[in-house]
Amino acid sequence: MMFTTRMKYLTAVVLDKDVEKVTRELLSDGVLHFVNITEVSSGLKSKVDTMVPEVSLNRIAEIKKRIESFLNMIAVFPEKAKTLDIGTLTTVDLEQTEHEIDKLSEEVQGIRERQKNIQQEIMKLEDIRRQIELFGDIRSSIKARSHYSFLNVQTGLVPVERFPELDTELKTLPSVVLNLHTEHEKCSVLLITMKRDDPKVDPLLAKYGWEDAEITHEMTGVEDHVSVDLKGKLKAYAKEQRDLQEESQVIIRKKSNMLQVLWANLRMNELYYRIQSYFSKTSRTVIFSGWLPASKSGTLQKGIIKATQGRCYMEWSDPEKLEKSEKIKVSVPVQLKNPRFLSPFQMLVTNYSIPEYGTVDPTPFVAVAYLIMFGLMFADAGHGFVLMLLGVVGMFLYRGERGDWFNLSKLVAYCGGVAIVFGVAFGAYFGHHWFPPLWFDYHALVMGHTPQTGIIHDIYGILLLTLYFGIVVIVVGLFLNWINLVRRKRWLKLLLDKTGFLGAWAYGGGIYIGYYYMTQNNRLPDETTLLYLAIIPMLLFLVKPPLLYFIKPKESRHPFTVMTVVDFFMEWIVELLEVFGGYLANTLSFMRVAGLGIAHVSLLVAFKDIADMAGSPVFSLIIIIAGNILVIALEGLSAGVQSLRLNYYEFFSKYFSGMGEAYSPVSLTAGQE
Amino acid sequence: MPGALGTYAFIAAKLRTRLSKILDREFIDRLIAAPSLVEAMQLLRNTDFAGLEAVYEKTGDLKMGELEFFRQEVSLFGEVVRSVSGQIADFCRSLLLRYDMDNLRNILRLWFDRVIRKREIEEASGYIYRNKIIYDLHIDELLASRSLEDISGILKKTPYAPLIKEQAEEIIQKNSLFSLEIALDKYYYMQLLKQVDRLSTADAAIAGRLIGVEIDMLNINWIVRFKTLYNLSLEDSFSHILPFGHSLRDKELEAAFRADDVTELVTNFIKKKYAALAPLIKIQGSDVQSRLALIERLLEEIMRYEVHRALLGTPFTIGIILAYFVLKKQEIKTVMTILNAKLYGIDAERIKSSL
Repeated sequence: MMFTTRMKYLTAVVLDKDVEKVTRELLSDGVLHFVNITEVSSGLKSKVDTMVPEVSLNRIAEIKKRIESFLNMIAVFPEKAKTLDIGTLTTVDLEQTEHEIDKLSEEVQGIRERQKNIQQEIMKLEDIRRQIELFGDIRSSIKARSHYSFLNVQTGLVPVERFPELDTELKTLPSVVLNLHTEHEKCSVLLITMKRDDPKVDPLLAKYGWEDAEITHEMTGVEDHVSVDLKGKLKAYAKEQRDLQEESQVIIRKKSNMLQVLWANLRMNELYYRIQSYFSKTSRTVIFSGWLPASKSGTLQKGIIKATQGRCYMEWSDPEKLEKSEKIKVSVPVQLKNPRFLSPFQMLVTNYSIPEYGTVDPTPFVAVAYLIMFGLMFADAGHGFVLMLLGVVGMFLYRGERGDWFNLSKLVAYCGGVAIVFGVAFGAYFGHHWFPPLWFDYHALVMGHTPQTGIIHDIYGILLLTLYFGIVVIVVGLFLNWINLVRRKRWLKLLLDKTGFLGAWAYGGGIYIGYYYMTQNNRLPDETTLLYLAIIPMLLFLVKPPLLYFIKPKESRHPFTVMTVVDFFMEWIVELLEVFGGYLANTLSFMRVAGLGIAHVSLLVAFKDIADMAGSPVFSLIIIIAGNILVIALEGLSAGVQSLRLNYYEFFSKYFSGMGEAYSPVSLTAGQE
Repeated sequence: MPGALGTYAFIAAKLRTRLSKILDREFIDRLIAAPSLVEAMQLLRNTDFAGLEAVYEKTGDLKMGELEFFRQEVSLFGEVVRSVSGQIADFCRSLLLRYDMDNLRNILRLWFDRVIRKREIEEASGYIYRNKIIYDLHIDELLASRSLEDISGILKKTPYAPLIKEQAEEIIQKNSLFSLEIALDKYYYMQLLKQVDRLSTADAAIAGRLIGVEIDMLNINWIVRFKTLYNLSLEDSFSHILPFGHSLRDKELEAAFRADDVTELVTNFIKKKYAALAPLIKIQGSDVQSRLALIERLLEEIMRYEVHRALLGTPFTIGIILAYFVLKKQEIKTVMTILNAKLYGIDAERIKSSL
């Protein structure tokens, strides 16, 4: 938890005939971060060949994506499954798998074609409806026999017994068929069809004994009937389309289990062959290497010995030993191992970058710093309670995934909790003073009331408090940096860097001088103090550039000229500016914590004043509630972002190099890439 | 009067967010590689084209999806117009005119098919966008019209009526809407350039450049088509091209017309003016169609280059609106080309070579 996990490097040699068992064992254990052995031991390059996987990894990935896209259509997400079962791993038949998916694709495409045909019918009926609207009065359109329209509107008589058959046959065409009246065994029919269908309609009419007739006297309210008829048909088609849409989902659902099994097997094969892509081979043996946490080495060793029945050779190295023996700088993958309750803060750290191997794990320090900053900016027990509630709800909603959204919800819950703590300390409950503060009355101080007791008497006291907090954070950052430098044996940097002892000396001196100046009526300390606290460290910074120049091997140095000396001075000036300007800015930056806290109180006071001006208690309550919601949302977001910024910039810049490589073993986690 | 920040801050944030969602090359390659239309549509589910995918899933009709997407783009552009004011809103309205004119073009082409070519258009008429964009087009009345005179009567309250009246005789004589389409394009760009003159100096410079480049693209495309497909003379061709191009003036366009192989001229132009794009110039096709396709691709790249150049400059200018307009159009064209190719079973290699 304090440092990155200790890693060990494994080099293993196994027999060719044991490769399959070993691969399964490695996949099942899922702890090895593979490295191509020729990257570490370059001498082996000419002696071994890279093992080429039997199956194309790209093709597996493509087929997997095809399956995912079908399963996603029915809201199944195989890539979100937790782990896979190595016991179900079988050789994958890509041709057969693709054939299955092609079949499914054709089935779904077939349904889409049928949907499209229905859509065409819908559009034709819509066209009829629009054309009828264009005419307005259907009766006049019959008389006019207009050449303008796409429609053929006609009236006639059909024998009663022939009408149902005519109606059924005409249903296959976009049409409106209305039986207006039955008399003397004849139906008076209004028929609206599309002119383009005349070659189909005319024979039908002749077949069923159609006689043209003028029956406009029976057409009262016919527009409504036509509209109802069209609406009914359109509704029926729309239902058919929906049914087909559902049918396409049913087809996929029926195959869902098969697809998920195929996907899982493909995924395991992908991981299996990915492992083998790191293997190097000779005529009868296979060599592989990688990194894993030192605590897992025993288990993996046992597993490989069991899988090979002892027919293996394994060599374990520490990073330092490896660098010495291979005479290269190795990139050790980094695992941050923190208790689950710190997972949101680990997420914040890894979002920034991965620390270098062997350095301090910033997670616990970020947790403390972030929460205190948030609490100071968002100190209200009521608001904190709301945030905590939201966080807990989020955690419940995302509990299945345990990914970034879950961690974010957890973070919100923690922020809510710490806001409650600071709210109780400052006596703030939804902007009200329902209980006396345990520390000091923040609200009163912001409003200009001076308390009789306590160490904080005014708003400047709050600003000073956050300033002191900032100094503590920066000093902790420096301290962590020294630990890192000691572990990496970078002595020169430890002594002379702006984040080393010399930088801390200058910073400490600056703090004292500033404190003295503020408390001693704008006077500076005596010359001796200034000499030791400011002048000497400033001069010592001048030692650094020439020292760095001369300790380099002669062949890698630029020739020493007058300009080199000028460069030394320029570097010194820049370093001084960075030290004094940078540290000053970083320290003052923490005053935003006070600023935001003050803004929090001020906003609540403003809403309270507006509520007091409202005419009725109801409006007053609405304003109070709306104001609190706005403050929670705005200030919550603001405080969260500012806390993050202070951590990322002011804190991390002191010690966090972020040049690490994440530890990513090949394991059976489904969604891993 | 608000400064550039006050004028563009909101719309720049909105459009930059939209621009960040424009599909990258990797996604386009995945779309091309999709084994079927159904699977290609699935890929679009979590993109800006989700609406198109949803309509396709409901209706099985790609064209309905396209119509839905057109509706979304018109709606977004309407939002852009409402988010700005004054001469900038007028300029944006002119850009929106492009959508209105495209809709009118579709209607006129259908009318032409029905009345002049005596074809059935009932199925196609369902794919016309029916809501008002700028002007009321009275779509069903237009489609049902008997003559161009009737059409210009129906459109008398729009600026399209005089254009249709002017070109009516040539349309009937040459049995083609070609002259009207050119006239509509000319009208569009003249309106746009009028609005450019009303913008601030900074905005006018950016808008003038981008529109000038677009005009160059259009002119070079037309010159090639006039000569090779329509067999027009130099004088006739020049009577149709647009003025106010950015780099290609009459001299260059005349040279393009006279050249045996205009592709070489275009590639030399690119090497001279857009050296960064030179690696994109590939082997030329031997036939007219491939050469035209190559020229169009090269010109699209030039437009993309100019737009990205505008985006890299001052953020609060008209450039962001134009950039969105151009890049979105190109993206839609690419995606619809791929989807239509999938519908017709065209293989991935052929699709790639045509993009």
